[in-house]
Amino acid sequence: MTTDAAPLPAPAVPAGARPPLVTVRDLKVAYDGGPLVLDGVHLDLHPGETVALLGSSGSGKSTLMRTLTGFAPVTSGSVRVAGHDVPGLGRAGLRRLRADVGQVFQQFNLVGRLSVLTNVLTGALHEAGPVNLAGGFSAAHRRRAMELLDRVGIAHKAKEQARSLSGGQQQRVAIARALMQGPKVILADEPVASLDPKLSHTVLDLLRGIAREDGIPVLVSLHVLPLALRHSDRVVGLRHGEVLVSAPTARLSAEQLAPLYDHDDEEGED
Amino acid sequence: MAIQSPQAPQTPDALKAGKVPAGARDRARKPVLDPRERARLEQAFRVPRARTAAGALLAVVLVAWSMAGAEFNFVKLGEGAANMGEFLARLFPPTWEKLPTILELLVETLQMAIVGTVLGALLSLVCAFGAASNIAPRWLYYPARWIMNVIRSLPDLVFALMFVSAVGLGPFAGILAMTVGAVGSMGKIFAEAMESVDRGPVVAMQAVGASKRQVVQYGVLPQAAPLLTSYTLLMFESNVRGATILGMVGAGGIGLELTTAMRMYDYGHLSAMVICIVVLVTIIDQVSAVVRRKIS
Repeated sequence: MTTDAAPLPAPAVPAGARPPLVTVRDLKVAYDGGPLVLDGVHLDLHPGETVALLGSSGSGKSTLMRTLTGFAPVTSGSVRVAGHDVPGLGRAGLRRLRADVGQVFQQFNLVGRLSVLTNVLTGALHEAGPVNLAGGFSAAHRRRAMELLDRVGIAHKAKEQARSLSGGQQQRVAIARALMQGPKVILADEPVASLDPKLSHTVLDLLRGIAREDGIPVLVSLHVLPLALRHSDRVVGLRHGEVLVSAPTARLSAEQLAPLYDHDDEEGED
Repeated sequence: MAIQSPQAPQTPDALKAGKVPAGARDRARKPVLDPRERARLEQAFRVPRARTAAGALLAVVLVAWSMAGAEFNFVKLGEGAANMGEFLARLFPPTWEKLPTILELLVETLQMAIVGTVLGALLSLVCAFGAASNIAPRWLYYPARWIMNVIRSLPDLVFALMFVSAVGLGPFAGILAMTVGAVGSMGKIFAEAMESVDRGPVVAMQAVGASKRQVVQYGVLPQAAPLLTSYTLLMFESNVRGATILGMVGAGGIGLELTTAMRMYDYGHLSAMVICIVVLVTIIDQVSAVVRRKIS
C-alpha cells in the first residue's frame, strides 16, 4: 500500500486493516519558495494503530504534522485526513478538519488560568453554538468532559486551575481535551519532550490505549528512540524531508534507525 | 540510546591520526566564538563599546539640552524653597466647616470616576480588539491604532471643553471626557496586553476548530484578564485624580470647588479638600492592591 523508498522490509498493513484515515501521497512542502522541507512523503495511518514519527531536528516531522491540519502549506501532492482533502480547504473547511483531528502539544498549551474542566470543554468548542457566549457548555458536554477526566485519571483536579498541575497531569488534561473533540485522528507533536521518563511512559501508554480502544490512528512524533520502539505499532522515519524508514516496530532494531540521526549539521530547526 | 552515528571522523587531521578522542572531533567541527569576544565576555568590568559610549553621551546631551530649553535651574529651585514652605504653611490649619460640601463633591467625583472607568474600559476593550495585531485583520488594525493615536495626542481638557459645550456644565460632560480620553491610552495598553498572551493556548484553540470569537474568548481573554483588570484599576485611580482637574472647566466633581478656594485664598478649605482627596486616593490604592493580588 505504501510506496516508500524504504531500505527496510516492506511495510506491512496491519492485519485486517480497515481503510486508512490519513493518506498522504507524494507530499512536497516548501515555505515561501524556499527549499523543500518535505520531499515526496507518503504516509498511511490506519484506525487503531500508533505510529511513531522519528527524525532529527529539521527532518520535517513538525511540518508533516502541521500539513495534516492545514497549518502548513501543501506545495504539491495529496493529503487526505478523515475524509477531508486538506489542500485547498477554505476557512470553514479547515475548522471542520481541525475539529476532527485531536492535537496534543509539547508544551500542553492549556489555558493556565482556566479550570481543568473548562480546558477540557474547549475541545468541544466546534459544537458549541452562540448560546455558549452567555452560559457556557451544556450539561451533556460537562458530563462527557468529566468522564474523559476520569479516563485520564485526573477528575479529582477538575476544579483547579490548569497551571497548578504538574507537567504530566497537564498533558493528560490536554489529551482529554483532544478526546473531547470526538477526534477521528490524534496527532501528538513531541508530547513527552517536556516530561521525565516515567511520566513519558504513562502518557504514551495512555495515547496507545486510546488508539486501540477507540480505533483512532495516533501519530506521535518522538525524538527518544527507545520510547518509540516501546510505544508504537509502526515507525515512520524522516530524514531531510524524505521517508527513510517505514516499518512495523516489531521488525525494527535501533541500528536500523541510526541513519535517521546521522546528520551533519546541528543548526537544524524543528 | 544507541543512536550514535557510526560515521568515521571527518577532519583530515583526525584521519591522519587514525584515532581521535570524541571531544577533539567535536571541537574540530564546532563553530568557535572569536577569542577576543570571549575574553571580553569573561571580564568582570568591560570597557564600553564605542556604540554604547556614543549612546550614553547622546542621552546626556539630550537631557542637558532639554533642561536648558525648559529653564530648569537648581539655584532658582533653592531660592524658591522658602516661598514653597510659606505656601504650604498657609495650608494649615485646615478648616472643616464645609466638610459636608467636600464629602458631597468627593462622592460626585467618585461616581464620575466609576462610570467613566466602566464606560472607558468597555470602549477601550472594543477598540483593543481592533488594535491587537494577533486578533484584528490588517484593514482594521491600522485605522484602530491611528484613531487611538489621535485621541491620545489630545489633552483630556480639550475633550472636557468639547463635551461641556455639547451637554452643558456638570459631571456628565466630565464622564464623557474621561471615557473618550481613556480609549487613547487604555485601548493601546489593552491591545498590547492581548498581544502579549502566550501563543500556545491560542494555537490549541485554533487546533480544535474554534472560531475567531471563541479563540479570543477562551484563548486570549483569560490570559489577558489579570493585566486588563490591573490596568482598569489604574485607570480608575487616575480618573479620580483626573476628575479633580476636569472640574476646573466646569465638568463636575470637586475640581471647581478646589479652583474657587484657590482663587479666593481660602487656604484652610483648600487644605481640607486636599486632605480628603489624599485619603480617598489612598483608600482606592489599597483596595485595588488587594484586588490585584487576588486576581494575579
